[in-house]
Amino acid sequence: MPEIVLDNVSKKFGETVAADGLSLSIKDGEYVCILGPTGAGKTTCMRMICGLTQPDSGRVYLDGKDVTDDPVDTRNATMLTQSYALFPHMTVYDNVRFAPQIKGWAPEDIKQVVRSTLHMVHLEQKAEWMPAQLSGGQQQRIALARALASGSKVLLLDEPLRALDARLRINLRKELRTMAKQMGVTCIHVTHDQDEALAVADRIAIIRDGRIIQFGTPSEVFDDPATPFVATFVGRSNILTGKVVRSDGESTAIDVAGTVLLARPSPMEVGEEAVLAVKIGFTRISKKQEEIDAAYFTGTIDRVLYEGVTITVEINAGGLGLISSKLPNRKFDDYHAGDIVGVSWAPSKASVFRVPPEGLEKELKLE
Amino acid sequence: MSLLKRIDDLSDNRKVRSGWFVFACLVFILVIVVPSIFVVTNLFTDWELVDLVLNNEGIKDTVLSAVFNSFSIAFIVTIIDILVGLPMAWIMVRKNFHGKRWLDTLLDMPLAFPTAVLGISVVMFWISPDGISIPGLGLSLSPYMMVILLHIIFTYPYMVRSLSAILEQIDPNFETAGMTLGASRWTAVRTITLPLFRAGLATGFVLCFARSLSETGGTYIALTMMGVQTSFFTGPSFISFLKSDESLYTSDEMMGAQILISVVMIVLALVLMFVVRKFIAKFRIPYQKVWPQIGRKVSQGGLPKLKDGITIAFLIVIVLLPSFYIFMYLTEPMPQMDYGTLLTSIAISFGVAGVAVLVDIAIGVPMALYIARHKNGKLGQILDNLVNVPLIIPTTALGFSLSLFWGGFGLDSSFDLLLVIFGHISFTYPLVVRNLIGAIEEVDPSCEEIAMTLGAKPFQAFSKVLFPIINSAVIAGSILAFTRSLGETGATTSISQNVNTVPIYITHLVEDGLYTEAAMCSIVLIALCFILMFGIRVVTGRRSKRDA
Repeated sequence: MPEIVLDNVSKKFGETVAADGLSLSIKDGEYVCILGPTGAGKTTCMRMICGLTQPDSGRVYLDGKDVTDDPVDTRNATMLTQSYALFPHMTVYDNVRFAPQIKGWAPEDIKQVVRSTLHMVHLEQKAEWMPAQLSGGQQQRIALARALASGSKVLLLDEPLRALDARLRINLRKELRTMAKQMGVTCIHVTHDQDEALAVADRIAIIRDGRIIQFGTPSEVFDDPATPFVATFVGRSNILTGKVVRSDGESTAIDVAGTVLLARPSPMEVGEEAVLAVKIGFTRISKKQEEIDAAYFTGTIDRVLYEGVTITVEINAGGLGLISSKLPNRKFDDYHAGDIVGVSWAPSKASVFRVPPEGLEKELKLE
Repeated sequence: MSLLKRIDDLSDNRKVRSGWFVFACLVFILVIVVPSIFVVTNLFTDWELVDLVLNNEGIKDTVLSAVFNSFSIAFIVTIIDILVGLPMAWIMVRKNFHGKRWLDTLLDMPLAFPTAVLGISVVMFWISPDGISIPGLGLSLSPYMMVILLHIIFTYPYMVRSLSAILEQIDPNFETAGMTLGASRWTAVRTITLPLFRAGLATGFVLCFARSLSETGGTYIALTMMGVQTSFFTGPSFISFLKSDESLYTSDEMMGAQILISVVMIVLALVLMFVVRKFIAKFRIPYQKVWPQIGRKVSQGGLPKLKDGITIAFLIVIVLLPSFYIFMYLTEPMPQMDYGTLLTSIAISFGVAGVAVLVDIAIGVPMALYIARHKNGKLGQILDNLVNVPLIIPTTALGFSLSLFWGGFGLDSSFDLLLVIFGHISFTYPLVVRNLIGAIEEVDPSCEEIAMTLGAKPFQAFSKVLFPIINSAVIAGSILAFTRSLGETGATTSISQNVNTVPIYITHLVEDGLYTEAAMCSIVLIALCFILMFGIRVVTGRRSKRDA
């Protein structure tokens, strides 16, 4: 039985559309990330699930039950926000104890639950501290403990790691997933950080303008994006537009400014305008003559960006524009500005889309 | 316990929640706002009474000059407050020195003194033979000057407080950044910090102006002690004067005069508040031009020190010494006191203030919650402005208006005490609600939301999460409202002659020339105020320590 279902919900705030016929169904115990640009309606989506926002139309189901008109406190769906909202006048212990006490559990059960959740987030020695005395990472973990101790079966994480520094974020996102799985809760995690979503989610829902545009596993979303927007939003892609010159079971051939490029098979027909997207990590370059000969096209290296584990080489490919290729760091000494390289990719790694009706530029815009 | 549980359960119902809010709104509109300005309708229904006044040159001139005195005094007082309040706010917020906490407490003292008491104290201080001998300097204080000196005392703390509140929110780094970019301190303050001040200036201006406009007891007592209460009037003191003699205030002409004064003062005060808000928002301090030389000169050497010195001297000589002068009476031989009457009036005063504050909290909390959380909504903004109305209206006019409104429902003199309580609720309500709004805005709204997602019912989210966080603001607002109610004269007299609160009792004593007795009553009242405030501080201080 699906645990959380949003059925065709819509919500407007004045002129702003936060949800536009949005449907989503999440399985019991699943860890789902909602990924989208700022203002896409991510937070509204969560607030409708826990009841803090009432949809204008559509229904919300939890555990098969229509809860659209139920008050917040009866839904057993707990939220965790980027500000953590730890109650400033209560100790860590009292914060965690809040939900069990409100729900009137037996005193010994309360004690047991609070102790074990604090132990789980490794902060039992801070029980008597006030929230203001804790570091950002500790506050985040207390907020998590408070949510887990509530016995809620649904955990809504609204950009829970946003206020933390980069390394802590990477550690904590793993912990979040581990604990959610351990407790068997269904978890929705809103973020605008694609790496975070790819790393922790069972499935990722890409949301934009109040609608879900793709819902799939991290590898589906990354390798097989549903739209050019998803292709650029989750991992950077090189985007090229041209005309389909051949389309068969093996590949789609697209003529871009006189150069024929290959992509995976598609239902598109010869003569149609098409958008080709290939992740910069799947874009191969080479300086070897035989590979230059076999490449789709050649270009001159404009500059090489040093990024630590990886480097990104930017290639000026004449009429095709600027093409980027992400390579491992060990290749750093192989490429220099001014070098001529051949560019190619495995056709199965490149996606093909119809040109969006409102134009490609608008499709790719982030805001 | 079961009652709380029932409230908890009820709060889950959206209809009950909005019902409660609508109820609070209705009470606010029907019991506080409408009765406060009801007198305006009398302008139309009782035009013949007003017409009598307009046709009688003598009374007309008196009424108009009284209104003019009120507004010009309020204006002068407010300007002086701004000039000396600004450097004081600076000292309180940006400087650290030994004894700052004492200065902080001293600043608020005049607020705890009923203005009637201040009236006695100030006149005693400035007029010989008991006080300082001004004639030696060739000066004699006109009633006009005396009222200005008196009004500065109880408006000054409001100005300093509103300015400090804003200054605290202005990051000193702005000034520092300006100075690292080459501006002298004076130029940095003038071009960067001052323009950010407008909001605080508007609040301070409106508060001080309204307070001065409204003040009755102290002014009337001061004028009585100078023996000019029948020849020199402010708007409220004129109404007080009429109320002192039943044959006066029941006459048609004087009824008309009261209506006229009340309406003029209410309308002018409201228009003025509106204009000031608009004007200060648009007003541009000419900060584009800079005079680096002048700026550097006034930022160096003794000038800044001189400015601080003058500020402190003003506080001591103009505000503090005259306020505390009343304690000189403790050196006089103990007069024969009518303790029975004093005790009754104390009981009435505390009863009225206590009931008013409780009602303020009960109907003010939902209002404050709504306004704080819907600041950008239309209804939120309308309510936000409406809440200020009873604060702006002169309390004498408010009281008069209120008695006409409820009198229309046939509430006769046996309901006087109830009406006085209604009046006190009206002008204390904004103090409580303003404080609450400020405090609620500081709290992250997700605190309540998260509490609800954790399973708390809306009322539990309020009582267990929000309320404990804001309870110091509730207490601060209540103390402010309580002391304000305790010190109020104008509203009480204009509603009824039969409700003898302490300030009214003191006024009667002064009218009878019993200054020493009046002073002793004042001292008792001040002492009770301080014991109460101290007690509340101890209790709440202990509680917050336990919480920590």
